[in-house]
Amino acid sequence: MTPHGWGPTFRFAFWWGQTFRFALVLALAAECARNAVAPGPTNDLLIVGYDREPDTLNRFSTHILEDIQSCVSEGLTTTDEQMNVVPLLAAEVPTLENGGVRMRADGRMDVTWKLRPGVKWHDGTPHTSADVKFTVDAINDPSYNPESTDGFDRISSVDTPDPLTAIVHYKEVYAPYALQFVRGTLPKHVLQGRDIDTANDYNRSPLGTGPYRVAEWKSGEFIRLERVADYWGGPQYPKIKQILFRFIANTNTRINQLKSGEVHLVAMFPWDKYREVAAIAGTIVHRTAGNAYEHVTLNEQAVPAFRDVRVRRALMHAIDRELIVKTILEGLAPITNGPIQPVSWAFTDDTTTYAFDPARAKALLAEAGWGDGKLSFTLITQAGFAVRESVAQVLQKQFRDVGVDMKIELHDGTTISSVWFEGKFEAMLHWWQMPADPELTLFFAADRTPPAGRNINYFKDEALTRLVYASDRTVDRAERKRLLGLAQQRIAELLPELPLYSITKLDAIPAGLQGFKGNPSNAGIFWNVREWGLR
Amino acid sequence: MKYFRRVGVSVPLLLAISLGVFGLIHLIPGGPMAVYLSSPGVRPEDLARLTRALGLDQPLWRQYLQWLGGFVTGEWGFSFSDGRPVIDRVAERLPATIELMGASIVMALVATAPLGIIPAVGRGWVSRGLSIVSFAGISLPVFWFGLVLQLVFAIGLGWLPSSGRTTPGDGGAMDRLAHVLLPAAMLGAVHAAAWARYLRASIADTLEQPFVNAARARGVPPGLVLARHALRPALLPALTIILLDAALMVAGTVVTESVFAWPGLGSLFTEALARRDYTVLMAMLMLASTAVVACNLVADLLYPLLDPRVRA
Repeated sequence: MTPHGWGPTFRFAFWWGQTFRFALVLALAAECARNAVAPGPTNDLLIVGYDREPDTLNRFSTHILEDIQSCVSEGLTTTDEQMNVVPLLAAEVPTLENGGVRMRADGRMDVTWKLRPGVKWHDGTPHTSADVKFTVDAINDPSYNPESTDGFDRISSVDTPDPLTAIVHYKEVYAPYALQFVRGTLPKHVLQGRDIDTANDYNRSPLGTGPYRVAEWKSGEFIRLERVADYWGGPQYPKIKQILFRFIANTNTRINQLKSGEVHLVAMFPWDKYREVAAIAGTIVHRTAGNAYEHVTLNEQAVPAFRDVRVRRALMHAIDRELIVKTILEGLAPITNGPIQPVSWAFTDDTTTYAFDPARAKALLAEAGWGDGKLSFTLITQAGFAVRESVAQVLQKQFRDVGVDMKIELHDGTTISSVWFEGKFEAMLHWWQMPADPELTLFFAADRTPPAGRNINYFKDEALTRLVYASDRTVDRAERKRLLGLAQQRIAELLPELPLYSITKLDAIPAGLQGFKGNPSNAGIFWNVREWGLR
Repeated sequence: MKYFRRVGVSVPLLLAISLGVFGLIHLIPGGPMAVYLSSPGVRPEDLARLTRALGLDQPLWRQYLQWLGGFVTGEWGFSFSDGRPVIDRVAERLPATIELMGASIVMALVATAPLGIIPAVGRGWVSRGLSIVSFAGISLPVFWFGLVLQLVFAIGLGWLPSSGRTTPGDGGAMDRLAHVLLPAAMLGAVHAAAWARYLRASIADTLEQPFVNAARARGVPPGLVLARHALRPALLPALTIILLDAALMVAGTVVTESVFAWPGLGSLFTEALARRDYTVLMAMLMLASTAVVACNLVADLLYPLLDPRVRA
């Protein structure tokens, strides 16, 4: 029926009504479509809401967390949920005790990697020591631009006496050797003679040895991984057939997708969403004690007052960390007193601690000549990070209570990075994700201020510098633990920065997911993905 | 001839824009290397090597000239982020943005008609109600509105997917339509409200004109007065606004695509900005600038077709 003979207003109303009805039909059809394709998590499909799209799946080229990559490409070792180094493609972790590490009289070091037999690349080619040697050579080749050459540039050569043995010769003692190949190896038979930077067939869909291969990468939308049929770990692995990583940058949208069932797992969601996520039916929140710590960096180069240990101690006494943890953090993160966290084998709690004591803080400031409101500085922190913004405001109030004026400036994450790297700040609230192998040199050695390192406190103490360098130059774990214990005590005593709390990682996972263990290190939660299965 | 002159003026304009945009991008704190700094394994040697590899060790003027030469010859360089050609990255995201903008414009126009025309000709509670709706539409915080749409239609009612462009493994017409409705509604709402208010004012002005009164005096029914005499001249200024807004809608896609995880140019821009991916940013900003200039030209060209006075 057409509205002939009606006035224009009525004709318009008619067509508007038709349009509305059409929209309603579309919505109903959409509902049917959606209900048909939004199943819950099963061993057929697990959907992960991921906060960013990887730049590349080549583990050596990326600066982004390697969750997706670790499902495809495996390391010779990885770190488990307790941050222990465990073998993966290696038959065992080389140590002094098992003869895998040999110290040479000239100060050099050899590490012998015995590879796990029977491991094949996804195309069926055996994984051998030639791949280990090729990887070292490729990364040290100036024509390739990996994210980092750290550690590889200390290797003088690699010998391959047989297909399952690679002897790596170091020019000097390198303590974190066990994690040298945590990103795996590059397939020699695929990449030899090629420009790896532009080998996009590999970089977008790498040939790996892991339990999954890349089935589809739709830019801006998702990466779909599918199970490798003849995975070396055995026919029982992996249990989940497909894993789909959907790229959803917005945190609220990621959580809304969890609620609507469109995604099943969201890793490392922010603490201020804890209650909201914990209330979602069918989802549980897995907590992992992290290897990162939130702290206030005090730039001694920019603020002369920070060079006085009494001022630093006064600021520490002024902070009520228990209050912060109980209120803003809702008890999700424990107080920490130093850079090495309890999850690390090198942690010690035998260090100086500072109780909340405003009177003591005022007295120390007065003693140092910075009392009566003389101390004023600006603290920068990351914008859009609700918890951190709240903590900054509490610090501002607590410092004001002892006569210290602290202003707050918020910046985006990229700006923050460049600001601290250039030393153009006075104080900064942030966290460091510490290396799985406990290295303090980068953060506290006197000669590791930017650009040489991350000592952005610009703190210089010769005794501490000697201790941290000595710990880097031994592979004897007991001796390293002793040296790092002394270093932790020295840091606690001199307080170059103000430690606040240890970072607990929160992962929202399906209630029926078995085998999930979490991970405190940069290895990420997918380190044991082959063991995951849905009830 | 006049039109050729206008096109000719656009070229130096775009050149000036490119220079300004290039300068502004490099003034943003941080740079392409900033993302590497949080990684403990990245050392000064690595930063120097990566800086050289990306050509960032060259003087700025040389970087600009190299970029300009490449851009005009279709060699837009490589993304700092994933090393792929910029033109590929933009091209693969463009269809999604066109789809979203197209759907948004359709939805906005459908909403603009009742919101603009009825309050202009009516006096009752419906007219007042629609005026309030369009006023509320302008005042809406877009970001919040998007989340509300998700909460109501995806989580509450479960009618539509909360985000994304397709359901992996599906991607059929109905699936795509279901995915585009909410982001298009979010992007279209603000524009519909603004366009409606402009259209209402324009119609109200036209209805006061002597030629409209003359038509009424001749006994032309009110509906025909509106359709034949008032609507066409009233649409003329509204069309200019709509065309200019359509180009500026690209800016709106940045927020919309972020909220709805829509894989278009808006989300690519967000990623490129966070990564300080200069080559991708330059390409996208120049495309957007060209679109604005082109829409202005189109508006100029369309005017004479709709208004004989301009032609004269």
